Amino acid sequence: MTTLTNTTVAASPATNSQSSPPRRRHVLDLDDFSRDEIIEILETTASMKEVLSRPIKQVPALRGTTVVNMFFEDSTRTRISFELAAKALSANVVAMTSKGSSVEKGESLIDTVRTLQALGANIIVMRHGESGAPYLVAQHFHGSVLNAGDGRHAHPTQALLDLFTINERLGRVEGLKVVIVGDIVHSRVARSNLWGLTAMGAQVTLCAPPTLLGPAALWTATWPNVTISHSLDACVAGADVIMTLRLQKERQEAGLLPSLREYSRVFGVNAARVKRAAPHCLVMHPGPMNEGVEIMPDVATSRQSVIETQVTNGVAVRMALMYRLAEVS
Amino acid sequence: MRYLIKNGSIIDPARRVATVGNVLVENGKVARVIDLADLSTEQEPLGEGIEVINARGAVIAPGFIDLHTHLREPGEEHKETIATGTAAAARGGFTTVCAMPNTRPPHDRVGVVRQVLGAAREGGAVRVEPIGAITLGREGKNLTEMAELVEAGCIAFSDDGSPVSDPAVMRNALAYAAMLGVPIMSHCEDLKLSHGWAMHEGVISTRLGLPGYPAAAEEVQIARDIALAEMTGAHIHICHVSTAGGVALVRAAKQRGVHVTAEATPHHLTLTDRWVLGSLGEPNEQRAPTGRGKRKHKHDPELALPGWLDPTKIAPYDTSTRVSPPLRAEEDVEALIEGLRDGTIDAIATDHAPHSHVDKECEYRLAAPGISGLETALGLVLTLVHRGEMDLVNLIAKLTEGPASVLGRTPATLRPGSDADIVIFDPDYNWVVDTGKFASKGVNTPVNGQRLKGQVMLTMYHGAIAYRRGNFGGSTGILQQASRLEGILEDE
Repeated sequence: MTTLTNTTVAASPATNSQSSPPRRRHVLDLDDFSRDEIIEILETTASMKEVLSRPIKQVPALRGTTVVNMFFEDSTRTRISFELAAKALSANVVAMTSKGSSVEKGESLIDTVRTLQALGANIIVMRHGESGAPYLVAQHFHGSVLNAGDGRHAHPTQALLDLFTINERLGRVEGLKVVIVGDIVHSRVARSNLWGLTAMGAQVTLCAPPTLLGPAALWTATWPNVTISHSLDACVAGADVIMTLRLQKERQEAGLLPSLREYSRVFGVNAARVKRAAPHCLVMHPGPMNEGVEIMPDVATSRQSVIETQVTNGVAVRMALMYRLAEVS
Repeated sequence: MRYLIKNGSIIDPARRVATVGNVLVENGKVARVIDLADLSTEQEPLGEGIEVINARGAVIAPGFIDLHTHLREPGEEHKETIATGTAAAARGGFTTVCAMPNTRPPHDRVGVVRQVLGAAREGGAVRVEPIGAITLGREGKNLTEMAELVEAGCIAFSDDGSPVSDPAVMRNALAYAAMLGVPIMSHCEDLKLSHGWAMHEGVISTRLGLPGYPAAAEEVQIARDIALAEMTGAHIHICHVSTAGGVALVRAAKQRGVHVTAEATPHHLTLTDRWVLGSLGEPNEQRAPTGRGKRKHKHDPELALPGWLDPTKIAPYDTSTRVSPPLRAEEDVEALIEGLRDGTIDAIATDHAPHSHVDKECEYRLAAPGISGLETALGLVLTLVHRGEMDLVNLIAKLTEGPASVLGRTPATLRPGSDADIVIFDPDYNWVVDTGKFASKGVNTPVNGQRLKGQVMLTMYHGAIAYRRGNFGGSTGILQQASRLEGILEDE
């Protein structure tokens, strides 16, 4: 418990400007990352991306290190991304999927972690449907935990790859106007991006219907400089980045939306809306997309869309993080 | 055995007495209360076979009554038994605990109630008053045989934890209970609004991505139950009020003359949802006075010590903070304290809810809600006194006279002739919560490791010592001041 505290205690927007914690054991969220640490990671990511462009896409950095991909939720693309990242660093990678079934209660989660530990795992990459689950694992695992998405809470590697992509394309993050539109309240991508983007000095607007957002004050209490909007038409004006979130169909079934049709009309990212943004505006999406719902097919494949680049950069970012974690353990 | 409890500060809210004096206990009863100013008694011989308990520096009060305790027996003895739960009660200064019916099987038939009362007689350290289930199987449909359950000893009815969702069933329960002259204790939660909840819906849940239990889910149900009580003329008791809106609803209903009473728990009166953030938040955020209300905040320098109720000592998403209703926001805590002070809230009740490791060592939202509260109740609520937010006499009233009146009882008191159910506590005793020393099997509390000020020294039930801390009160030949006794007493 104390070691967990050590890595997370510096967490707060107020302390972000201070120097980064010297040795990070886990990556659970971006809330405890300083601007400097993010910049370092983005620099490491650039080196990793260079490795991936070589004919032989592999370096021996993590030889002898065992990485376990522990995925309790279906996510083929994220799992493959982590797997490729670990392999590119020459780590031993094992995949463990157990969606839902016997692993319902934490007793089993803790048991699983203890078993993986006894088997010699060094890094656990974990995806879990419950917010906060990686914090529980971090308390019971002596190695490093890399959060690959927990419930609605955090998806730090996604946010870092988004930052890398923005920086790569636009040359900076600071001062950019970023609109995050969609199912904010249920989105771990939105939360981690809020930490990352605000730490880097971007101006963030959250845009969603109230049923997918909640009262503005609940967001601005933690992220004071964030703007809340219910009008995509208004907030895309002059935007540098439009970040679209996936809308799960269950939201409509749960009564949070009258219909997908209306959602698409009011909050879908279409060509007309992108046109109102800055000419260089990037259109992003963490995938998988519901084309025709939150994003129109022509936008997804347009020149301004960087959705595929995000996927490519994801491998490099994950390499960078594993590399840094392995340095510690 | 006879006892002379000497030189303590006697606080007996029911008799509006607060004085320094002695209490003589004989044959399980309070024999005499002797004001120190009354010098005539000084020379009187005490006779043989008497133990003198030196209570100098400590408070002597009627034993506390807990309206809301989960003893888990029968059915979940791995979490708590009547023996361990009542031992925990004695350590917390409680001489009466009202046992909630959500056992397995529940208190929905006479057989179970008799079993509970029998186990309490045999192995209970203090009095157990069973609360009957409102509906069979606590399923919210068919009323239990309430008349027979009252005959068997039930003092109230509740489907605690599984609130009666159907308003027509609640209406009938209230009307029927009114005939029997017992209250319906309502856990007010609209299950549709709170569906899937992990914690209080607010700033912290938004940050942590945890599904929220909005304050309105409690408030709409309180409003409903008040309306039904008003219609039926029944006595509704609102369990563990946790929201500012809930306090306001109860206050307004009382002003209209509705027979409504309410309780609040020590944890809802002292902790907020910020505890779920644990070490992720700023260290040592102290509760700042809001300026609302007229109370003055005393600045006790000890309260600023880092150890004083510091949420950063626990990990983020620590499941010990998960409780139903959830720990609420700062404004809610303020409103609860205000409600306690102005009489809107009648009683402090622990909602002692022991759970095993298995129920708590898991993902946050999946953890069983509940805090093991009997042994930290006094230390927590005395925080309000030390902060100057509540006076000691009024606070003790909320643990004695208040809950007694909810049950329609003659108030617990130290009047000569009344049962010798007595607590002696040192309001200034500094200690650190160590769940390893709990009598309760439930070690699920977010305040483990926290420093509290105020501790029970001795609990007497029916004139016998049910709990004694160290050798408290023992005759050492010198005048002891209890609060200076740390070295002698230690934490056992």
